[in-house]
Amino acid sequence: MEEEKKDDIPKFRGLYRHVHISVKALDTIIIICIAVILIVTFTSMRDPGFNVSFDSRGGTDVQTVKYQYGDLMEAPEPPTREGYTFVGWYQDPGCSDEWEFDTEKVETSMTLYAQWKAN
Amino acid sequence: MTNPVKRLQATAEEFKHKDSKDKKRYIVDTILNNALYILMLIFIIYTANKQPNFLTWGSFANLITQVAAYLPLALGIAGCIVLTGTDLSAGRVAGLTAAVSAVLLQKTDFANKMFNNLPAITPGWILVAMLIVVAIGALIGLVNGFFVAKFSLHPFIVTLSTQLITYGIILWFFGLNGNNGQPISGLSQEYKNAIGGAMFRMQNVPIPNYVAYALLLTVLMWFIWNKTTFGKNMFAVGSNAEAAKVSGVNVFMTTMLVHTLAGAMYGYSGFIEGVRSGSVAASTGLNAECDAIAACVIGGVSFVGGTGKISGIIMGVFVLRIIFVALTMLGVDSSSLYIIKGAIILCACALDMRKYLVKK
Repeated sequence: MEEEKKDDIPKFRGLYRHVHISVKALDTIIIICIAVILIVTFTSMRDPGFNVSFDSRGGTDVQTVKYQYGDLMEAPEPPTREGYTFVGWYQDPGCSDEWEFDTEKVETSMTLYAQWKAN
Repeated sequence: MTNPVKRLQATAEEFKHKDSKDKKRYIVDTILNNALYILMLIFIIYTANKQPNFLTWGSFANLITQVAAYLPLALGIAGCIVLTGTDLSAGRVAGLTAAVSAVLLQKTDFANKMFNNLPAITPGWILVAMLIVVAIGALIGLVNGFFVAKFSLHPFIVTLSTQLITYGIILWFFGLNGNNGQPISGLSQEYKNAIGGAMFRMQNVPIPNYVAYALLLTVLMWFIWNKTTFGKNMFAVGSNAEAAKVSGVNVFMTTMLVHTLAGAMYGYSGFIEGVRSGSVAASTGLNAECDAIAACVIGGVSFVGGTGKISGIIMGVFVLRIIFVALTMLGVDSSSLYIIKGAIILCACALDMRKYLVKK
């Protein structure tokens, strides 16, 4: 009697309640996922590093540079803009947090924004 | 609690008495059930070899800081998962509350200040600002909870719509007072110190104050989950809502409260996120819920409902952060990280189902 009752309850509860899947299929999914993670990791590690782009905001273009984790950035050639003086590179478009080229290290891909002062 | 050494001995003894076919199955089962932990170990060993900086106290301090920042969101969402639901609005709610707290606590003499008639930045005002954003988070959570509890709508639908609505409100908010969608910066030093000020340093890497706050929140959540009637009701509703109703649990109130509590946690996350990122943009908090959900599922808060432990959530956040810190140190770009995150979520769910099926 108890055995029959057990069969009546759905296999899964909660979010999985409509799922019909075997352990074997789940194993395949797990293995595929792990494989994807490893493949993506090792492909992107063939060309590792983080792109730092410079938004000169109206000034002359500055090339994007690739750095490795923990590198100190080299300050690029300052851009120029008619009628303005270049102040510095900032981490946010609001220009409140200046990038310290001597001490701050690259830890992710990012964009630095130019700050200008009108002449 | 049984002694872990004794338990291991018992398992070893059991293993000896199995025949070769069972032994093989046991090994395969163990490997698959712990696939993500093994993956984490592989990454740790590989990264430690490639980057000598990885296994240092400084990098450990960095890890702790990151865990403390991501934990509150996961603690909030876990309650929704215990109720067999989820919450997709978490990241956006944190984004909105980050923006509100940034505006309330901008430098008084900042040129692009959004609102000028705010009080001076005192510890009291910082506390009030925190309570305001926590209340905003709780209010959105309450809306989620109301629709889920009242109309038995699936949390996926309800929270998807609140996610979008919240994003709309964020965009409105960024357009206020001629701000024109610009990121909000110029946070006051008092606010930065209160959240991100260093308690002490580990190899020159500061441990910010919010690590202590995260610890406090964890203790609070542990208490709520394990020692209060509300916590017990939450697990009862999660494992079987009908049975809980019959035995006198107020399912409606429990569901509402779980979502409200989750919302309050997102509000708090937003409050610290502003300081962490230095300035708040409209995209702040985007997809943050995915990390939190993945951490919960890795940590054994099952989508089956009614199961989960606070210690598991902490473990899940740690595993996820260790993997991401390792990948970042290896120089894996953020675009690849998204693919890896997706695969981790699918893998964690498959593992979750597998454990449930094998147990039966």
